[in-house]
Amino acid sequence: MELKIENLSKTYSNGVQALKNISLTIPQGMFGLLGPNGAGKSSLMRTMATLQKADSGSIQMGDVDILKDTDQVREILGYLPQEFGVYPKVTSYKMLDHIASLKGVSNKGERKELVEALLNKTNLWHVKDKNLGTYSGGMKQRFGIAQALIGSPKLIIVDEPTAGLDPAERVRFHNLLSEIGENTIIILSTHIVEDVANLCKDMAIICLGEVVAQGNPTELTQRVQGKIWKKMIDKQDLDAYKAEHQVISTHLKAGRTMIHIHSEAKPDSSFEASPANLEDVYFTEITSRLQDVTV
Amino acid sequence: MFSEIFFFELKYRLNRPATWAYFGILFVFALFLSIGGLTGGSEKVFVNAPYSIATNLNTVSIFGIMLASAIMGVPVYRDIEHGTQHYFFSYPISEKGYILGRFTGSMATLLLVSLGLIFGLIIGFAIGPYAGFEPAERYTNFDFWHFLQPSIFYYWSNLFFSGCIFFALVALTKRIMLAYAGGAILFIIYLVTLTLTQDIENKDLVSLMDPFGLGAIGNLTQYWTPEEQNTLTIPMAGMILWNRLLWVGMGILIFVFTLFRFDFQRFLNKKLGNKKKASIEKEGFSKAVLTEIPKVSRTFSAASNFKLLVRLAWMEFRNITKDLFFKAILIAAVLFLFFDGWFGSPTYGTPMLPMTYYMLEVKSFTYVILIFILIVFMTGEVLHRERGVKYDQIYGALPLPNWVIYGSKFLALVFVCFVLVNMIMVSGVCNQILKGYFNFEFDKYFVDLYLVEFPKYISYVMLAFFVHSLVSKKFLGHVITIAVWAGLFAINSLADIGYNMFLYSYSPGYIISDMNGFGHFLKGQNWFRLYWLGFGLILTVTGLLFWKRGTDSGMKSRIQEAKERFGGKAKLAMFLGVLVWIGAGAVVYYNVSVLNSYTKPDDRRERSANYEKTLSKYNYINQPKFTDVKVAVDLVPEERYASMAGKFIMVNKGKTKIDSLHINWGTEGLLKRELLKLEVNGITLKEGKVYEEFGYKLYALPKPMMPGDTTLMELAIKKGYKGFPNEGSGSDIVYNGTFLNNNFFPSFGYSLQGELTSDKYRKEYELSEKDYVAPSQDDEWGLSNLLFNDDADYITFEGTVSTAPDQIAIMPGYLQKEWVENGRKFYKYKMEGEMDYFFNVSSATYEIYKEDWKGKNGDEVAIEIFHHPAHDYNVKRFAKAVRHSLDYFSENYSPYQYRQMRIIEFPRYQSFAQSFPNTVPYAESFGWVGDFSDPEDTDYAYMVTSHEVAHQWWGHQISPSATRGANQISESMAEYSSLMVMKKEYGVDAMQDFLKRELDSYLRGRAGENKFEKTLLDNDTQSYVWYRKGGLILYALQDYIGEKNLNSGFKTFIDSAAFRVKAPFATSNEWYGHIKAVTPDSLQYYLEDSFEKITLYTNKVGESTYKKLDNGNYEVNIEVESFKNYYDGNGKDLGASEKSNLLEIGVFQNDTVVGGMTRKVPLVLEKKWVKPGKSTFTYITDKMPVKVGIDPFNKMIDRIPDDNMKSVEELE
Repeated sequence: MELKIENLSKTYSNGVQALKNISLTIPQGMFGLLGPNGAGKSSLMRTMATLQKADSGSIQMGDVDILKDTDQVREILGYLPQEFGVYPKVTSYKMLDHIASLKGVSNKGERKELVEALLNKTNLWHVKDKNLGTYSGGMKQRFGIAQALIGSPKLIIVDEPTAGLDPAERVRFHNLLSEIGENTIIILSTHIVEDVANLCKDMAIICLGEVVAQGNPTELTQRVQGKIWKKMIDKQDLDAYKAEHQVISTHLKAGRTMIHIHSEAKPDSSFEASPANLEDVYFTEITSRLQDVTV
Repeated sequence: MFSEIFFFELKYRLNRPATWAYFGILFVFALFLSIGGLTGGSEKVFVNAPYSIATNLNTVSIFGIMLASAIMGVPVYRDIEHGTQHYFFSYPISEKGYILGRFTGSMATLLLVSLGLIFGLIIGFAIGPYAGFEPAERYTNFDFWHFLQPSIFYYWSNLFFSGCIFFALVALTKRIMLAYAGGAILFIIYLVTLTLTQDIENKDLVSLMDPFGLGAIGNLTQYWTPEEQNTLTIPMAGMILWNRLLWVGMGILIFVFTLFRFDFQRFLNKKLGNKKKASIEKEGFSKAVLTEIPKVSRTFSAASNFKLLVRLAWMEFRNITKDLFFKAILIAAVLFLFFDGWFGSPTYGTPMLPMTYYMLEVKSFTYVILIFILIVFMTGEVLHRERGVKYDQIYGALPLPNWVIYGSKFLALVFVCFVLVNMIMVSGVCNQILKGYFNFEFDKYFVDLYLVEFPKYISYVMLAFFVHSLVSKKFLGHVITIAVWAGLFAINSLADIGYNMFLYSYSPGYIISDMNGFGHFLKGQNWFRLYWLGFGLILTVTGLLFWKRGTDSGMKSRIQEAKERFGGKAKLAMFLGVLVWIGAGAVVYYNVSVLNSYTKPDDRRERSANYEKTLSKYNYINQPKFTDVKVAVDLVPEERYASMAGKFIMVNKGKTKIDSLHINWGTEGLLKRELLKLEVNGITLKEGKVYEEFGYKLYALPKPMMPGDTTLMELAIKKGYKGFPNEGSGSDIVYNGTFLNNNFFPSFGYSLQGELTSDKYRKEYELSEKDYVAPSQDDEWGLSNLLFNDDADYITFEGTVSTAPDQIAIMPGYLQKEWVENGRKFYKYKMEGEMDYFFNVSSATYEIYKEDWKGKNGDEVAIEIFHHPAHDYNVKRFAKAVRHSLDYFSENYSPYQYRQMRIIEFPRYQSFAQSFPNTVPYAESFGWVGDFSDPEDTDYAYMVTSHEVAHQWWGHQISPSATRGANQISESMAEYSSLMVMKKEYGVDAMQDFLKRELDSYLRGRAGENKFEKTLLDNDTQSYVWYRKGGLILYALQDYIGEKNLNSGFKTFIDSAAFRVKAPFATSNEWYGHIKAVTPDSLQYYLEDSFEKITLYTNKVGESTYKKLDNGNYEVNIEVESFKNYYDGNGKDLGASEKSNLLEIGVFQNDTVVGGMTRKVPLVLEKKWVKPGKSTFTYITDKMPVKVGIDPFNKMIDRIPDDNMKSVEELE
């Protein structure tokens, strides 16, 4: 079963066009949605999570029309929003138990087993009786994934789950996600290229509400292989290079600036070839659409 | 730094649309008030009189606390709400600078907003005279001081101190809701003082306690006449000053406390102290990796959804009840209820037993305001709960149908409503238990609370859900919902549109009675409730369609979403709502507007005007008079109809011949009539000229009646109620407690009662101003007709009445026979001798308490008290009053004309007692359930009973003529007689308390006069003159000229005027002549002042001292000040008299308590001629003096009776 998005468009009441005719096919497994801030990732995610309407287009998953059959979608959905709050005076155990029953897990025994397993799985067992208001950012995020996993969802949507987490927490989080069964569609949105590179076998890059690239990360990297060149320059020359080349990234190194550019052929002898990675793909796509990006 | 914060705050506020919205609301409201002339009070008071401006500004400031809490609550809270607290406080600013800046900035904003009202009033008053809503002469000239003075002292100071409190609450607790709760609590304190005002003994307490000073203003200005209200500003003195100092001072203190207490760290870390961080990560990877997430079964079915609905509703309900704001308001509201119930609704300052109906009635409009606001706020909380903690996205994506989430929230509020209605019962039952009253009548509680009140609250919830769903901003939702409610109130009360089918959640008023239970009211209530629940369901379902789930708040997508949500179930619910609404609406409409009719007050006034224009030509025309009346009445209380047949022997007592009968049927009201028979001498009368609109019809007589001719008229009509009306008690014929009188029959000719009385409206309809209704004392028509009825002079009377088998029916006369026929109970009554044409028909299930009275001359009178079986509390008190009255009146005036005196209880739909020949119907609420256990309380059951018994002499023995002033013969004399019986029973010392109430009522009555105050001699319509002033004047007169002496004058009056068969009938001049005859020359000035003029004294004790003499005696020096001023009818001062007046001067010891009553103990008490201005009196007493006074028993009319006495100080 795969998720098919066709010609999806959305303009907000303030005139911002968040989604422009997006078409995507998302197979089972982990799917990465990569894009800069404000690219429309969250809009797309929320639309898939039944939280907002689209102006036109369709999203189909098997025979479920996600835009219309919202009740059915919600039964197979696990959703972790980008930003979420919790009731500060409730323990995670109680809250998960409550959400489980709202997700249709009506058998008490099963519910208990499930909640305990989730708490163990997300490594929250030892704080299960603590109020959610006392949780650190990482704990809260793991609680978030725990609640999304309730009821073996067929479609899991996690919106920038690792933003603000420290490296150890991020690793833990990745591990959690990657353990989820194979016959599930997991859509992970992020602006961190590494997340996608590590986890996803399929991905799409969106920018300014449009899909600018999609495919498997290796393939996408392959496409720019041999077209990325680097050079050490002086800071003040940057603008001149930008005028002449598609500078996709700049790094400061020991007082000088290392630039990467995208070019079909070696621009001149002062550039040397650089092995392409996913980050280069990403920056190639978005720099052609956005102005200055500095990493 | 302060100024930076201050200006930032001010600029920020000025850019907020809310600031200007508040300003606009006040501005528009002010225009509405000022152009519409909706300022209350007398018609003679200018719409923009200084007094009106002050009370309006003050009243608005009470509701202005909502603005104050909105504006003053947020400045500190804003930093929490937007999360700016964390960095904002890290700037180099000081706490005091921050607090002062935010505070003054917000206060300046509040002041600015408040100007909306003042500008609105000023502009409105300028436009008003030209707008045409109110006559131009009701506006006076603009005077800026009239706005500025009350603004400073009331309007702004109220906003200021309440603003201080709200600011402090939020700054110290971080909880914005506490500001709202604080506002509600201030409002409740105000309501409590309103309750206390019911007893004039609480004046000073009320003046001090009312946070807004309205009570203090009221107490100071309540006796101001229209003239004074038009010219004076309210002085800042006395209790008003203390009140302002107290409350404004409290505001300042609270703010200063906040200023010193506030501290950034405490503000930020408030919760950290007790907040334990969850422990740092333990490494548990292996366990986490090994854990398998089990497969679970999931059910999504209607049944499981329903279960979830109930569970979520319960959780939500628990959340609401745990809310501090909810608890605060609920506790305060219930305390208010309890308090109101506890102090009851005193009559003449005397409480009543804690009857269940009263415990239910305390949930009046003011309580419902609190409930409504609570419901609106809680609905906002509930609908925004997930969004508030940002849990809405997770929650919104859960597999719960919309109706489960929305429904659970709705259901939770329904639970809350259920709790709220039960609080009324809890408060009521607690009150009853604490007062030792155990007749709980839970059936009444259940019916009223569950069938009427509960559905009403649910319809409030439905409205709140509708608005809060459509408007996804919480605060805006609150404002709009409350505005809808206020709008309904304005349409209903201010714009005078009372058609309940147009006013969401409104229904006809109803009264619960012990005698008649919910009576006929319940049916209308239930249909109206159903009608509004149907409409409410439509609102609720519409709310469900538009309620925001998810993140998209765009209009387009919400409409699109609503269309999608409008599926099978929603359609079904909507259909059900429409069905119930239309169905119940059809029933209601049929009852209210087809069976009955609704007339707008405007139309009613117009009809009155047309009535006068069309028919006044028939005023005073000659019509026959009854001499003998025989009636046969069939009451069917079970179905609320009755038929009455009368045989009337009529005589043409006039000087002209009579061709036609002018029968004035009157405009048909709730009672629908059917003419069964109208014959004269056996010939059916035919309608001649008919004025259908006014129910006025002419019928040609078969043979004209020449002067002196006698004929027999037979008239039979049936009248009954149909369905239920939009408003109105329809209490003439009820299941238990019917009370009809001779007005069941039509009367002859034009009646002045149907005319418009208000000069304001008379002018609007181009009628001339009308000063008097009754003709002057020498008018021939007036002299030849009786005051209470011009269809007859004295008549002979008998009647038969049938009623329900378990009821007793009573009419004037003596019971001749009673029997049962066709399952109905029959009674036949016959009056011996003559009586005026004034009879009642009463019927209910009664128990009878009997006593006998034997007079000194051997007369015997059977006293019978017909009472509701449960109301036996005070029957002996009634009987005692009857006995004592008969004693006094038969000895001092003349023998009692009957052998029987009956007092009959009727349901509390009206609150009065009325004296028919040998029969006094007496309202259920008027003494039957009074609590007279404290001897200090006025025994008004005794007082009113003796008043009504006195009418057997003053009213029935002497039935006054239909001239102006004549009603004093009836009412002033009955009031005087009652005071005399009281004096005999309770002693002269106890009288001051009664007199004080008489004085208070008189002074308040004249302050609200719409035309001009009339004198005792020519007053025709002003009850405060004939009861209150009359009683006071005659009481003082007997004190001055001697009780026996005055009564001898009344005796000669009775001797010459009782049962006068022929005109001229008694006038006030005749009565006055008898009074003058027994008054010595030296006191004739008092008669002139009191009967012919309007005279007010200003008596006051100045510095008074005593010193102990060598012989152990005391020398007391009393300094008094006395003025006597004359006033015209408008209350304009005509100047002071320069003559001396006879006034009492007294020296007193400490009060003693005799038989539970406080009494003054005079050492010296004598009447002295006191010249105007200051005088000094010296007395030697043998005991130590404590207090001294001038007119210490308040016998004279004096607007500040309390300064007539003062403590004396020892001279060093």
